[in-house]
Amino acid sequence: MKVLAFSDSKTILAQIISRFRDDAEVHALTHDTEFTAKFGAAKTIGMKGDILSGSVAKAIEKMQSDEGYDLIAIGSTVTGREVAGMLATMLSLHAVSEVNSVNLDGGKITTSRFFYGGKSLLTEESGAKIAVLAPGIAEAKESPGKTEVSEIQLEPSAVRIVSKTDKKGGSVDIEKAQIIVSVGRGLGKKENLEKVEPFAKAVHGEIAGSRPVCLDYGWLSEDRQVGLSGKKVQPKLYIALGISGQIQHIAGMRNSKLVIAVNKDKSAPIFEEADYGIVGDLFDVIAKLKEKVAQ
Amino acid sequence: MPYNVIVLIKQIPDIDQMKTNPGTGEPLLQNVPLRMENLSKNAVEAAVRIKEKNGGKVTVLCFGTDKSTSVMKEAYAMGADEGYLITGYPGNYPSVTAKALASKIKEIPHDLVILGNQSADSYTGLLPGSISAILGEPLLGNAVDIKLQEKQVSVVSALEDNNLEITAEMPAIVSVAQEINEPRLPPVLQIMAAGRKPINQSAASDLQVPEIKTLSNRAPKSDRKRIVFEDPAKGIEEVSKVIREAIR
Ligand SMILES: Cc1cc2nc3c(=O)[nH]c(=O)nc-3n(C[C@H](O)[C@H](O)[C@H](O)COP(=O)(O)OP(=O)(O)OC[C@H]3O[C@@H](n4cnc5c(N)ncnc54)[C@H](O)[C@@H]3O)c2cc1C
Repeated sequence: MKVLAFSDSKTILAQIISRFRDDAEVHALTHDTEFTAKFGAAKTIGMKGDILSGSVAKAIEKMQSDEGYDLIAIGSTVTGREVAGMLATMLSLHAVSEVNSVNLDGGKITTSRFFYGGKSLLTEESGAKIAVLAPGIAEAKESPGKTEVSEIQLEPSAVRIVSKTDKKGGSVDIEKAQIIVSVGRGLGKKENLEKVEPFAKAVHGEIAGSRPVCLDYGWLSEDRQVGLSGKKVQPKLYIALGISGQIQHIAGMRNSKLVIAVNKDKSAPIFEEADYGIVGDLFDVIAKLKEKVAQ
Repeated sequence: MPYNVIVLIKQIPDIDQMKTNPGTGEPLLQNVPLRMENLSKNAVEAAVRIKEKNGGKVTVLCFGTDKSTSVMKEAYAMGADEGYLITGYPGNYPSVTAKALASKIKEIPHDLVILGNQSADSYTGLLPGSISAILGEPLLGNAVDIKLQEKQVSVVSALEDNNLEITAEMPAIVSVAQEINEPRLPPVLQIMAAGRKPINQSAASDLQVPEIKTLSNRAPKSDRKRIVFEDPAKGIEEVSKVIREAIR
């Protein structure tokens, strides 16, 4: 069996290679051959040129006609989903997206993914030949296996890059955190983080947040966003402060062992997903909790 | 200069109101109201703002069912000028949806097609790429800002590690992120006027639905304790013990 793995995120690419390398001949398409080569793909193919979805899709279309892959496995990023959508059309192949687990069995593929915004987990069997895989499909493990490195030039796209602004952050990995203090829009303003930090410290927690806090307002860096479109966390303790508990948020913290929620609205849905809840002003509550915990 | 903008909108069950069967975990869809998908609203808003600034026309397209006239009216109330409802939506099959929408788009002169980057219910994110490939028009994805100048569209595309400013010549496809704008709540008068506006309706033909077997579709089990203290003083007393235990 032959699998083509592509992601513009080298972390997800390493996970995809690790997932398939024991069962299949994996060819990995990457912008960083030096890093990707460590993960034991049979072939590591470096892309030269701008990584834009149109260009990558054309390159993969050609590779598919040369190699006839059984599966094209693509990391779920903005670019990855675009590439998959384009390829589904260009190659007339069925694609499944945002897949959390995948099993190949002959010509069939069984996949699981969230549905209804994360409310349910949908497991399907299909003839998909393109699978978009969510981060964490397997643990990325280096492999001593030899890999053949080559390079291809991407064709220019009708889309041109004008400028690139790197996002801040990158130092934390909240997916591995054991204790998380997560803040929502109830925080009110960025300065109020100063009131949460001492509490987070007292419980030895990392600070994370809901999507508005990380994306709309930028109070926290994006790598701290928990949820369907953010990180999936599984700490032993998750403390949700001023988070309403919309399903897209729950999808990211559902695997926490113990959940505590503080919200001033007693009908907030987060209380349905909490082991312990306190109805009240989050700042009052954490100030007092901090004292009690320290005792 | 004025622009012709097509917006693709989707109707979904109101997932926040959707319950799951406590025994089996299966979604209970009966009596769940239908509403416009979240990012579809952002897409309509983005298009209407383009019209307000530059002039032109906003045409909405929905691949739905007979029940989808309500979202068409909502889009009208927000400022859309014309609407096409294609009925026969067979469920979440991005390739089918892409074909049904693209064949209609081909009939309508346009500078831009705007749609949500990933829909709030099915969340595949495949549609923008598929539509772009069918139409052979460039895709500028996950936009948090759109700027138009003559025949050139530029967007800030929010990627995982960076924001990319990209540009292409129109006609082009732009998919938007939730952060691009705050969709307006139309005033009552506009809602009433929208109710009287005609909707062009036609049925999709020749749908090739791929063979997919659903093995299960259930809510993950949640066995949270759900002990909620409405008296903060008591809550703090109890919860601090729980925290102390948990962080040991
Ligand atoms: C496709 C898609 C993907 C998405 N992905 C994600 C995702 O990955 N992660 C995510 O989080 N969201 C995601 N969302 C957004 C999600 O639907 C919600 O909009 C979001 O989670 C709400 O964030 P929030 O709880 O912080 O804000 P709100 O819903 O505004 O809730 C704020 C809460 O704070 C409480 N509050 C206010 N002041 C106080 C106070 N002083 N003390 C105590 N409580 C207070 C309020 O009662 C309220 O319940 C997604 C949405 C879509 C459509």
